[in-house]
Amino acid sequence: MAATAHPDRNFKYWLISPAIFLLLLIGLFPLIFSLVVSFMRVTMLETDTSFAGLVNFVQLFHDARLWQSFVHTALVIVIALPIELLLGLAMAYLFLDRMPGRQILVSLLMLPTIISPIVAGATWRLLFDNRYGPINQIIGWFAGHPVPALWTVNPQLVYPAIIFCEIWQWTPFMFLILLAALSNVDRSLTEAAEIDGARFWRSFRYIVLPAIWPVMSIAILIRGLDLFRIFDIIWALTAGGPGTMTETVSVYAYVQGFRQFESSYTAAIAFLVIALLTVIVTWAIRRMGLAK
Amino acid sequence: MSDLKITGLHKHYGAYHAVKGIDLEVPSGEFTVLVGPSGCGKSTLLRTIAGLEEASAGTIEIGGKDVTWARPRDRDIAMVFQNYALYPYLNVYENIAFGLRARRVASAEVDKRVKRAAEMLGIAQLLERFPRELSGGQRQRVAIGRAIVRDALLFLFDEPLSNLDAQLRDDMRVEIKRLHQELGRTMIYVTHDQIEAMTLADRIALLRDGKIEQLGAPLDLFERPATRFVAGFLGSPKMNFLPATIETGEVILRDGTKLTLPPGRKAPNGQAVVLGLRPQHIAKAGASAAPGHVQLPSTIELVQPTGSRVQVSMPLGGTSITAEFAAHEVTAPGEQVLIDIDMTRAVLIDPQTDKVI
Amino acid sequence: MTTVPFHRRKETKLVFRYLTAASLVVIFVFPIYWLFAISFKTPGEIFAFPPVWYPKSIQFNNYAVLFRDGDAKTVGNSLVVASVSTFFAMIFGTIAAYSLVRFKTGGENLAVWIISQRMMPPVAIVFPVFLFYVWLGWVDTYIGLIILYTAFSLPYVIWMMRGYIEDIPLELEESALIDGCSRWEVLWKVVFPMARSGLFATAVFTFVFSWNDFLFALVLTRTEVTTYTVQVTHYFGGQSNFWSKIAAMSVLGTIPVFITVATLQRYLVRGISMGAVKG
Repeated sequence: MAATAHPDRNFKYWLISPAIFLLLLIGLFPLIFSLVVSFMRVTMLETDTSFAGLVNFVQLFHDARLWQSFVHTALVIVIALPIELLLGLAMAYLFLDRMPGRQILVSLLMLPTIISPIVAGATWRLLFDNRYGPINQIIGWFAGHPVPALWTVNPQLVYPAIIFCEIWQWTPFMFLILLAALSNVDRSLTEAAEIDGARFWRSFRYIVLPAIWPVMSIAILIRGLDLFRIFDIIWALTAGGPGTMTETVSVYAYVQGFRQFESSYTAAIAFLVIALLTVIVTWAIRRMGLAK
Repeated sequence: MSDLKITGLHKHYGAYHAVKGIDLEVPSGEFTVLVGPSGCGKSTLLRTIAGLEEASAGTIEIGGKDVTWARPRDRDIAMVFQNYALYPYLNVYENIAFGLRARRVASAEVDKRVKRAAEMLGIAQLLERFPRELSGGQRQRVAIGRAIVRDALLFLFDEPLSNLDAQLRDDMRVEIKRLHQELGRTMIYVTHDQIEAMTLADRIALLRDGKIEQLGAPLDLFERPATRFVAGFLGSPKMNFLPATIETGEVILRDGTKLTLPPGRKAPNGQAVVLGLRPQHIAKAGASAAPGHVQLPSTIELVQPTGSRVQVSMPLGGTSITAEFAAHEVTAPGEQVLIDIDMTRAVLIDPQTDKVI
Repeated sequence: MTTVPFHRRKETKLVFRYLTAASLVVIFVFPIYWLFAISFKTPGEIFAFPPVWYPKSIQFNNYAVLFRDGDAKTVGNSLVVASVSTFFAMIFGTIAAYSLVRFKTGGENLAVWIISQRMMPPVAIVFPVFLFYVWLGWVDTYIGLIILYTAFSLPYVIWMMRGYIEDIPLELEESALIDGCSRWEVLWKVVFPMARSGLFATAVFTFVFSWNDFLFALVLTRTEVTTYTVQVTHYFGGQSNFWSKIAAMSVLGTIPVFITVATLQRYLVRGISMGAVKG
C-alpha cells in the first residue's frame, strides 16, 4: 500500500540536512577527533600518538588547579547570577508601568549587553586603573582622600572587579527578559489579589512568580551556562591572575591548550567539560520541556 | 461519472482511529454536507480528500482519477477554510490571484478571472485593500473568491461560517447557496451546524465516530431517520425521547399514559421501545384530533419565547418534554393545556440497537 | 501615614521612578561614555591625574592611527565573517526549524540535541575544532571562521525561528498547497514573509553574537583574518600608551552594532520577548 508513497516524503529531510551537516561537522566530528587525541600523549615537547589509555583522564582527577578552576567558576556563578536576577527584577518592576520616554531609557540600558564582552572587559580595565581610572577617583571623593585600589591585581579586589563588570554587562539582559515576562502577567489576577487584601510580597510570591517562572527559569539557565563559560571579561581584566586566582574553567582550558600546548590533556579536559555539560543541559532541556 | 468517489477510507492518528471505513460517491454538481458532532471525523475526512492528510487505507477518486497519493495541488480542488487563511501581506486582489499566479496563469487572464469572481461576490471595490482592513464577512468572501477563481472540479468548505456571528452567518448561507446555483460546481461542505446542513445540502452525510450514520436528502434524514442518533441530531429544538412499550397498537409510556398508534403502523407487540416525538409535532390542541393524532392534558412547566415560536416544557410519560407552539398560543407556567400529538410523524426506536423501526 | 491625595502620590512615585531610572542609566551608560571619551582624548588628557571627565575637543587622531596602520581592516574582517555566517545560519536554520515544526523531523530527541549544542561552552568546542582545522588547513582562513560561526549560530536560529514558525497559522500554508504551490514555494512565498519580524530579530542577534565573539577568533585566526575583538587585545601590553588604541578600536567595532540595533529596534523588543516567552 505504501509502495506509491507520498511524493513529498523526503522534503523534510532535505530541509534539515544542511543544518545537521554543519552541526555534526562542528559539534560531533571534532569531539570524536579530540577524544582520540585525549587517548594519546601529545604535548608541547613530544607528539606521541600511541594509545596511552586513560592516563590523561587520570591526571584530571589529580589536577588541583583544574578543580580550583571549577571552584572559581562556581564562585562567579553563585554571586553574579542572583544579583543579576534580583537587580534585573527590580529594574523590570521600575519600568513596568507606563512612563513617558520609557522606550528611550530602556534602549539606553541595553547598551552594555550589545557590546562585545571583551570590549566590556577592556573598558572596565581602563575604568579600574589605579591612577587614571575614574572609579578610584569617585571612591576618593567619598572617602575624602585618594584610595589606591589595584582592582586587577589585588587578590581582595579581583573578584569584585570581575563580578562588577559581569553584572554591569548582563543585568540589562535579565532586565529585558523579566520586563517582557512581567508585562505578560494577566493584570486581572494581581488586581483581584489587591482587592482581596494581599500585599505586594504575597501577591508576588503566589501570583506573579508562578506566572513568570517558565521564562525566568530559561533565563536563569541561559545566564548560568553563560557564566560557566565566562572567558572574555576575565581575560581582559586579569588573564586569570594574579597567579591563578581568577582562573575559571574556560581560562584554564585555554591556557593548557594554547599556552602550554598540552594538547592531549586539554583534549581530555574539553571532553570532560562537554560530557558534564551535555548531561546537565540535556536533563535541563527535557525537564523544562524546551524541545516540545 | 461522479466527481468524488471514496472507497473504504480509513485514517489513523497513531492509535486513534479517526475515520473508520467510509464509502461516499458524489455525483457532479451536487452539494454534499458532512455534518456531525465534534470529533466525528468530518474535518479529518475533508482534509484527507484535500490531500492535507494522508489516508491510511482506501482510495479517493476525483473526476475519475485516483488521487489517493497525489499532492493537494494536483487534485483539482479548491478549499475555503474556517479562519479564511488570507495572506496578511497581500491585498485582496493578490490574495484572490494567489493560486492562479502559482500556476503561472497569464496576467491578462488572471485579471479577468479575479475581477469576475470579485463581481460575483460583491467585493469588487475592495480589491486594493488588505485583509486587516476588512470585516469578517468580507474576509470570508475573499476566501471564497480565491477558491472560485480557480475553476476547480471540487470545492471544499471547512466550517467556513463558524467564526461569523449569527446574523452574518444567515446572510452568508444564502450567498453560498446562491453561488452553488450559479456555478453548478460539486461542493463538499463541513459543518457542525445542522441548520446549515439542512438548508444548503442536496445530500447530507451525517457522521458519527468516524462512520457515516446516514446518507440522504435533508428531508429524508429529518422525516425518516435511520437511527436514534440521526433523529436526535437534526431538528431544533431536539426530538423528545420517551421510553415506552408497545401493546396492541398502543404506545404505553412509563407512567401508564397510552398513545394510540395510527393504523398501518408496524409495531411489534410487547416490545420495549423509545418513542421519538419532535417538538414541532406537539401543538396546542385545536377543536378535535385529526386521524392519527392523540390529545392529552398537561401542565406547563417552562415557557421560552423565541419570537416567531414558543418553546414550552411540560411533563409527559414521567419525563419533561419540549413542544413548540405558535407565538400567539403563548401560555404561562402552571397553566393546564390540552396538547395535540401527531403520532403519524412519531418515530419508534429499538432501545437495543438504537435503530428506527 | 498622612493622607495624600491619590494623584499626588502617583506624582511623587513617578518622580522617584524617574530619578532611579536616570541614576541607572548613568551607571550603565557611563562606562561606554568613558570608552568613547578616551578614544577622542589626547594622550595628555587620557593620562591626566585627576581624570579629565570630557575631552576638550573631539580629535580623531587615535582613529587615524588605526587606519594608517591598517588595524582598522580588522573591522572589515569582522564584517565579512559575521554577515556571511549570519546569512547562511538564517537560511539553513530557518528551513531546519520549519522541518522540525511542521514535520516533527527527528522527534524530540533531535530537538533536544540541537538545543543542547547552543549551550556548549566555546572553550570546550574550540579546542577540538582547532585540532580539526589544523588538519584541514583552515586556521586563519575566512572559510574556517565563517563555517564555525554559521554552525555555532544554527542552534540559536533554529530555537528562535521554531517559535515564530509555530505562530504562522497552518491554514495559510495548506491553502497555498491547494492553490498550486510546491512545498518550496510555500516556504518562500508564505513562511518567510509571515515570519519577517522574527527573521529580522533573530538575524540581528545572530549577527551581534558573531560580531562580538572573541574566543573562537582568538584561537582560529592569526594574522590574515584577525577580527576587531582580537585586535583590541593586541593592545593590552600593559603599556599605557596603547589605551587610546584600545578605546578607538573598541569604538570602531562597537558603532556598527549600535547602528544596526538602533535601526532595527522595533523588531527587537518583540523579538527578545517572543523568544523568551516561547523559550
